[in-house]
Parts: sequence; C-alpha cells; structure tokens
Amino acid sequence: MSKKSRSKLWFLVHSWLALPIWFFVLIVCVTGTLAVVSQEIVWLANPDIRASKPSDDAEPLSFDQVISAIKRAEPQVIVQSIIRPDETHFALSVDLSYPDGRSVEVYVNPYTGAIQGVSPSFNFKQFTRALHGWWLVPFTNGYSWGWYLVSFLGLPLLASLVTGLVVYKRFWKGFLRPTLRIRHGARIFWGDFHRLSGIWSIWFIAVISITGTWFLIQAILGDNQISISSEPIVPVIAREKVPLSAPGVPAPMIALDEAIKIAGERIPGLDATFVFLPSNAYSHLQIGGRGWYPLMFQTAQLNPYDGEIAVSHLLSDRTTLEFVTESMRPLHTGDFGGLWIKLIWAFFGLVLSMMVLSGLLIWTKRTALATLNALKRSNKAPRQPAPVPAMQAETTEAN
Amino acid sequence: MSKVIAAPAPSPLRAFWLKWRFHINILLILVPLGFMPRYFSEAALFRGDTGIGERVAGDVQVGPWSLTLAEFRNEGPRPDPAGPMKFFNAALCATCAEQVKATYLRIGKPRSLRAAGVIFFGTPYRMGALLPVPERTPADAELWVTMEGWDGTMHQGSIPLSQASPATIAWLNKQGVKP
Repeated sequence: MSKKSRSKLWFLVHSWLALPIWFFVLIVCVTGTLAVVSQEIVWLANPDIRASKPSDDAEPLSFDQVISAIKRAEPQVIVQSIIRPDETHFALSVDLSYPDGRSVEVYVNPYTGAIQGVSPSFNFKQFTRALHGWWLVPFTNGYSWGWYLVSFLGLPLLASLVTGLVVYKRFWKGFLRPTLRIRHGARIFWGDFHRLSGIWSIWFIAVISITGTWFLIQAILGDNQISISSEPIVPVIAREKVPLSAPGVPAPMIALDEAIKIAGERIPGLDATFVFLPSNAYSHLQIGGRGWYPLMFQTAQLNPYDGEIAVSHLLSDRTTLEFVTESMRPLHTGDFGGLWIKLIWAFFGLVLSMMVLSGLLIWTKRTALATLNALKRSNKAPRQPAPVPAMQAETTEAN
Repeated sequence: MSKVIAAPAPSPLRAFWLKWRFHINILLILVPLGFMPRYFSEAALFRGDTGIGERVAGDVQVGPWSLTLAEFRNEGPRPDPAGPMKFFNAALCATCAEQVKATYLRIGKPRSLRAAGVIFFGTPYRMGALLPVPERTPADAELWVTMEGWDGTMHQGSIPLSQASPATIAWLNKQGVKP
C-alpha cells in the first residue's frame, strides 16, 4: 500500500470511529463532565452540604465529638460511618440509621456537629455517576451490560486519538502555531477547533481512554471471578475476642479518637478521613485515609473492644500492578487533589465533548460536499463510479 | 459516504445498515430513559424510604425477642460464585435492640450457636444477611433465626420458608424440587 492510500485509510478509520453512535458518545462525555463536578454542583444548589464556620477561629470537631453531637440532637439514631470530604468547604458525610429503617446520608457541620440536612432522595451526584458509569442499567448478576456498553467506548476513543495523531501530519507544529480561523466559514472553524483542542487534550484523551478501557477489563475480570487484589479478606472477629457482658449491656468499645490514634501509629502519616463503625458485634472498625500517594487510600481494621489491629492495607502492601490498576479510577474521575484538579478534568471533559460534536459537524459538512462532488461527476459520466473525489475531499480537508 | 457511492449494488444487509445505522443513537438514548423509573425505585429501596425490603414477610418470635423479617427483593435467589444467594433484611423489635448481641439466619434448625448460619450486618433498625440457598432445599424447609444476648444466652425461632419468601419456593420448584 502506498503512503498516500495508507493515510487515506487512517483518515477513513478516524472519520468513522464514533460515527454511528456519535450522540451516545457525546452524552457519555457530557455526563462524565457533569459527574466530575457533581459534588460541586450540589454544593452550589444545596446549602446543607456547605461547611460554614460558626466563627473565624472555629476548629473542626474530632470524630468522637461529632458522634456525641449527633447523639445529643437525635438520641435514637445510629451512626454507621463518617466521611470527611477532601475539600474543607464540604460538610461531613455521615450515614445514619433511623428507627424507621431508613439508612441515609446526612450532612453534618464539621465545626458544630449539627445535622444540617438529610440528603435528598434525588441524589444528583449518584445519578450522574450511574448515568455516566453504567447508563442506569441495573446490576443483577455481576457487572451490568450498561457498564460494558460505556466502558467499551474506551477503545474507539483510544483509536481516535491514535488515528487522529497519524492523520494530523506534524501535529506538534500546532502547539507552536495555534490556528483557529474564525472568518473562513463553519467548516474551517470546526476543523481548526477539532485539531487545536485535540492536540491540547492528547494527555486527557489518553488518560480517559486508557482508564475507561481499564473499567472494561475490570468488569471482564470481575465477571470471571479473577482477582488481582492483595487486600486480605477479613474474617469476623473470633468469638473469644468479643467480651461477654451483663444481659442488655453492650460490651464497651474503645473511643473512636483512641482507635484513630492506634491506626496512626501503624500507618505513619495517615490522615484519617473516614471511619466505618462495626456493622455488628463481631465486625471490625475500619479507619482510613490517604497517605503520601494521593490516588490511593490506606486502611486499618481494628477490634473495637480492645483496639487490636486485625489487618491493615497500606501503600507498601500493594503490588506494582495494583499501584497502576488502583490509580485508574481516580485518574478517570479526577477526585484526588481537590477542587482545581476537578475543574481541570471538567474543562477537558467539556473540550472532549466539543470534539465529538465538532468531529460530527466536520463529517456532516465534508460528506455533504463530497457527495455533491460525487454526484456532479456521476452526472457527467453516469456509468463511472466516482470514489476518488469523495476520498480526496476527505483527505485534503485534513491537511 | 464515499463507499456508498463506490459500491455498485450494496447487499440488502448493508443497505439496511446504511439506512438505519444512525438510529442506533435513538435506541441507546432510550436505554437510560427506560431504566430511569427502576433506578429511582432501587435508590429508594437502598435508602429505606420504602421500608426495610420489597416484601415484609412478618414477625418471627425468638424467645423473649422478635424481629421483622423482609425480603430485600421480592424474587428468588440470585446466582453467585458461591452458589445461589437470597438477601433478607430484618429489624429488631423496639425493646430488644439493646439486648441482642448478634442475629443469625439459616435454613434448617442449627444444632449450636457455632452453626447458627449467616450473621446479620447492619443496625438493629435495618440489617441484612446473605443466605445461601442450596438448589436441593426442600420446599417445606424452615428458616431459623438465632439470637445471641450480650451474656451469651441463645434463643431460636423459625418461620416457614414458604412464608418468608414465596419467590424462593417458586424458584426451588423451577429447579426441580418437589413440594
């Protein structure tokens, strides 16, 4: 195959990659962008989720103090977990079990312990993530087919990136001489836009497509019961390690702050940002947070009666493979370094959505032109097939 | 497009594809729209806005204590690598929440506390247990609830499986178990 026809072929592949499902791809990109900043959108819309300081010198409460404040306000509820979000402007996310059988997330002020509100039944954050992540298709047996549907898009996205760079000759020159011609008609504008935003998003498209493909691999591994995790499976606490007590008097547990201290001794540099309380008399208390590597969490599971650490899962316990695979999700979602990283991810998510749209616009305009040319020629010479003009129209536009 | 013009006579299959390929988008967009009501009803089920399960089976007396047993989903066991599993939810009686240290669930009467079955996870207000249901379970089997007090005392109670989960009985009958 000659060099020219090979580049034509690459071009055709690039043009056709997402085409029949372009709208689906566009919506997946848009919902993904929304999902990145979903928590921030809720912050804007719902004052309950904001961590307002009662005074300038207010200090955040410890987890024990938070639980006491909740118990004072609602003596009947049982605290199941407390999560301190990465960004300090968010209220604590606390899961509460109510006597009527509800188990819901509430927003608790980190400085006062006041329950500022119960999460609404329409959870925007979860909804956008479910829509983007598995197209709302329920999980009944293993991964939902919606998950496969969405994560499969990682492959054409990766192929679009590769073929795009092959077709866009000497693309690195675009960095030095950015071109965005506004006054030359829509076709030229969208072509310039597509190329310009494309080269500046190379890293982002690579990250999203590779991590997206990982989600596909993850589902395939999961549905075939293949595990690469080094995380130990923790059995329940042995019967003899749970003290007996008087009838009707639950065995006393150590204070949460004490448990966090014990976990901190085992995990140097642990910033305990979440606590999962024992979910029955024989289960552990789980404490966790980030360490030096912001993309992964470290956890410790303790016997809540004597503080003995049953098992811990540290960064140093992870295999090299796990460092790669466990980093995939935060790299995809951008929630590992606070607001600014999320905003960068959201911005490039928007750019990627626009690339899908501009790609389609280019295709429509070019194809219309190519068809017109082809028709003209076939009118002149009715019996001659005219594939060449169409191909030329497509490739010449690219350069 | 160029290929369309180049091809002299597309096969019927190809013509069909060329005509309808962009309609795949419509089908794909209809998918989440179709699943949306189910998504919201499931979200409410998980939050407990619609109670502790899709179908409340009734109260089970366990010695001095009792619990309300519910099927999380009103359906037969789901396949699992470890065999078919059925998820039950329960709530302890208001007066026994502090008294009960642990609650267990098992098909057939357990001989001892050590063989009491699967343990419930959660709070006294809402707890769940994933119960293995062997395919050869007799349709007249009893579901046994074992409760343990903080001092180690043990109480037992049972409910017919047919009452706890008619959907599981239907599933067993489909597996070939004679009633």
